[in-house]
Amino acid sequence: MKKQLPLLIGFLAGSFAIAEFYIPAGIVRDIQSKLLEFASVLAAAAFVLGGINVIQVNLPIILHRRPDWQYKVVLMLGAAAMLLAGIEWHSLAAAPAPTQVTERPTGTTALAISASRDDAELSVDNKPFVPLGSGWREPVAPGAHNVAVRIPQPGYSAIAMPITVRAGMELTLRVPVRMLWGPSGRVYTWMYDHVFGPCNATMFALLSFFIASAAFRAFRARNLDAALLLGAAIIIMLGRVPIGRAIAGWLPALSDWIIDIPNNAGRRAIMMGAAIGAVATSLRVILGLERSHLGRD
Amino acid sequence: MAARNALLGFLERFDRRWIFLAMGLAIVLPLLYPLGLPADPSPMVKAVFYAIDDLPAGSTVLVSVDVDPASRPELEPFFHAAVRHLKKKGCKLVFLTLWYQAPPLVEHWIKDDVESASFPGDRPYRSGEDYVWLGFREGKAVVIAGIGQDLAATFNGQDAAGTPFAELPVLRGFARLADFPLIVLVSAGAPGAKEYVQLVQSRYNLKIVAASTAVSLTDLTPYYQSGQLLGLAGGMVDTAEYEILVARFLGLDPKEGVGAKALDVLNIGHLVVIFAIVLGNVIYFAGRRR
Amino acid sequence: MHTLPWFDVVGFWIGIFLTFAILSYLYKDNPFYKLAEHLFVGVSIGYVITQQYYNVIKPNLLERLAPAHWTDALRPSVYWIPLVLVALLFARMVSRRIAWLGRYPLAFVVALYAGIQINAVAESDLAEQITVSTRSPIVPKKDVNDPATTVRDLASLPGFTPAVAEKVVAARVAGRRYGSVDELADTPGLTSAQRQDLRDAIADFHGLAAQAAVEPGHHDGFAIASRIFLLIGLCASLVYFYFSAPQTGALGKVARFGVYVLMVGFGASFGSTVQGRLALAVGRAMDVLDKDKSPELAAQIHGPAVSIASIVVILVGIVVWEKVYLPRHPRP
Repeated sequence: MKKQLPLLIGFLAGSFAIAEFYIPAGIVRDIQSKLLEFASVLAAAAFVLGGINVIQVNLPIILHRRPDWQYKVVLMLGAAAMLLAGIEWHSLAAAPAPTQVTERPTGTTALAISASRDDAELSVDNKPFVPLGSGWREPVAPGAHNVAVRIPQPGYSAIAMPITVRAGMELTLRVPVRMLWGPSGRVYTWMYDHVFGPCNATMFALLSFFIASAAFRAFRARNLDAALLLGAAIIIMLGRVPIGRAIAGWLPALSDWIIDIPNNAGRRAIMMGAAIGAVATSLRVILGLERSHLGRD
Repeated sequence: MAARNALLGFLERFDRRWIFLAMGLAIVLPLLYPLGLPADPSPMVKAVFYAIDDLPAGSTVLVSVDVDPASRPELEPFFHAAVRHLKKKGCKLVFLTLWYQAPPLVEHWIKDDVESASFPGDRPYRSGEDYVWLGFREGKAVVIAGIGQDLAATFNGQDAAGTPFAELPVLRGFARLADFPLIVLVSAGAPGAKEYVQLVQSRYNLKIVAASTAVSLTDLTPYYQSGQLLGLAGGMVDTAEYEILVARFLGLDPKEGVGAKALDVLNIGHLVVIFAIVLGNVIYFAGRRR
Repeated sequence: MHTLPWFDVVGFWIGIFLTFAILSYLYKDNPFYKLAEHLFVGVSIGYVITQQYYNVIKPNLLERLAPAHWTDALRPSVYWIPLVLVALLFARMVSRRIAWLGRYPLAFVVALYAGIQINAVAESDLAEQITVSTRSPIVPKKDVNDPATTVRDLASLPGFTPAVAEKVVAARVAGRRYGSVDELADTPGLTSAQRQDLRDAIADFHGLAAQAAVEPGHHDGFAIASRIFLLIGLCASLVYFYFSAPQTGALGKVARFGVYVLMVGFGASFGSTVQGRLALAVGRAMDVLDKDKSPELAAQIHGPAVSIASIVVILVGIVVWEKVYLPRHPRP
């Protein structure tokens, strides 16, 4: 149960995935499609499990006041804030008020639109969006039109609807706009734009400084191999940016040649070797010869 | 001997924070005082341009936007330029992503470029009629294999807003990847261009163009050379070159693009790294020779 | 351009502050960096969980299981399988003694991925690459006078842009016949910059003269030599990875050449990696200096001023931490 059954499940799933490639029958494709869906759900659940595990690991540090416990409080507050902002609270509330559409005879055929917020934007008949302000009114031709109202900031409801304006009538639309919650919501997107995004990008930006430091302290042309590596790197770095052309007209061409010819020669060799290795390793996993992913007893 | 030891000791004691400072200046100063050196589009980037330009007007194109906030400088200019290029050709667009970091970014970009008029003569696209945002699915290779067979099964037959596929005119007749005349990949890493080529390009004979980060460029050039990728724009330089091609195509000023502005930093930054390599080697070998 | 709500302006300021807090790690690990790091990790956890739930678990599992009527709740569904597998995955959170139940979903996923990979890499990374490696190395020059040579064919040549290619094709359609590659620069309608680009591109062995001709039957010698070099380099690199025989003698020499080819490739990778890493920093620099925003937006955010203020606050904070706090609270 603990070892043999998982290996059997793995063998069946892997064998089916291999065989499906060669069997064009519809039922086989349908089963494969289902298996792929199941794997996608499991992958998502694994992320949720990982997130919960991080919280499980950090909570005891706070409770037992271990070193740096204050930072773990920040971590937990950040997680809680994002989780709460990510729940679609607006779907639990009452259904939103619909767009009010009224019509009155005025002698001229016109369209008047207003929204519950001054910063809304309007597009009529697929024209570019314009600020709606306190309201918009213009004569239009009788017949069908398209109206779209949105807020420039993310996280608010938007409408896009076809309307029909009858000759001699003024059609008035009052569009209610409400703030949304959840993954497309106002607060969630704000936290993504101003906390997650800058932090994620800056963490990776640190690498540019470390690569310069490593270039000075560690990259030595100790032998012919290293000299070739560094020489090629310098040519690529100069040749692929405009300053390379300013230094020497042939640098860009040489850099392109290095990428097209020796780089591709080596890459193809590595690719072919890696492909053979991947096939061998995958077969070992499917046949149960490779069991490290199942852990120890 | 003493001089040799001094030189080698200098290398060991040298505070790397001076390098960090030099790098910081190399990044900031070109943004404040641009050089404005012109960039010349390479054949690989021109191939991307022509792959999109050769599309019949009104074609439906799938765009897989697999990015994160860190890859924005290298890939966001390509996305904006590609969407403008496709909109100019009147193409309908189907967006999806395989990266969990991407959805808010993609929604911003869709709002800025797809749902707005982003160049003279452009019009806002309508969701469902002109474009659809399918959203994110986890699973990496499994999702790519899944959409190769059946788009509806992978996305539960609905777009990111929950609208059923049957109510989306833009998806009529497009059930799997092979139905799209072109697939545009905006790919920051794995899963991305490499996985698409491995899992579905050869199997379903797909036409794919890709934009990738510079780190992935040398891994993907064999696929371009073999024709598995019709075009490849790798890194900020190629992205800026594509931006220039599209700006000329639309009659806009090529120097106004974000990619073009960022090129100056690469010019100086590369010189700093090369200087660091050369200086480190000179001091090292001088120390060894003595 | 609309006026940004104060909430969003403060958001931009927070983003700038967090950027410099993380960059302060370049000086040394400090409380500002730790604060930003932990905040980022916490927000990431909440972000990942909500994204996975709303984008995958809810539509692809819960909505598929949701019954239209309560009497359907117990009707067997194939989606009970992933539900059970997810439950088994979470067994380790209940008790370590039943953590082994998580092996079932793990075995399924790992083996499925392995099965998909086998055919995929064999076809794309092995078969296709062998096919392209064994194609003919003969590369004909592009005949500019041939009606079958399209704008796209010409645009890929050195010195050409799509606009130049269109003018050359237009001249050809109008009846012009080029007597030599040098005459391309005399095509009517070209600007002086375009003419100069074409003249500059006429290099001997790799430029326009090598890749273009004015009559059929000519070949690009440099490209042919390059393709042969690529094939030799590929074979030598593959020999290097062959470990079933000792790499001595002739085999050793071929393997050594393969190493040289690989080293040049790794150097190209390193050069591209430097470019990629720099690009990461460029994005942050443009963001904090407002170089990627419209002037109206930049005027509301005042990025450079906020950047300076953030740097001052962090610098003062680090000095106080080093000079006042650390001496009183020495680390064990």
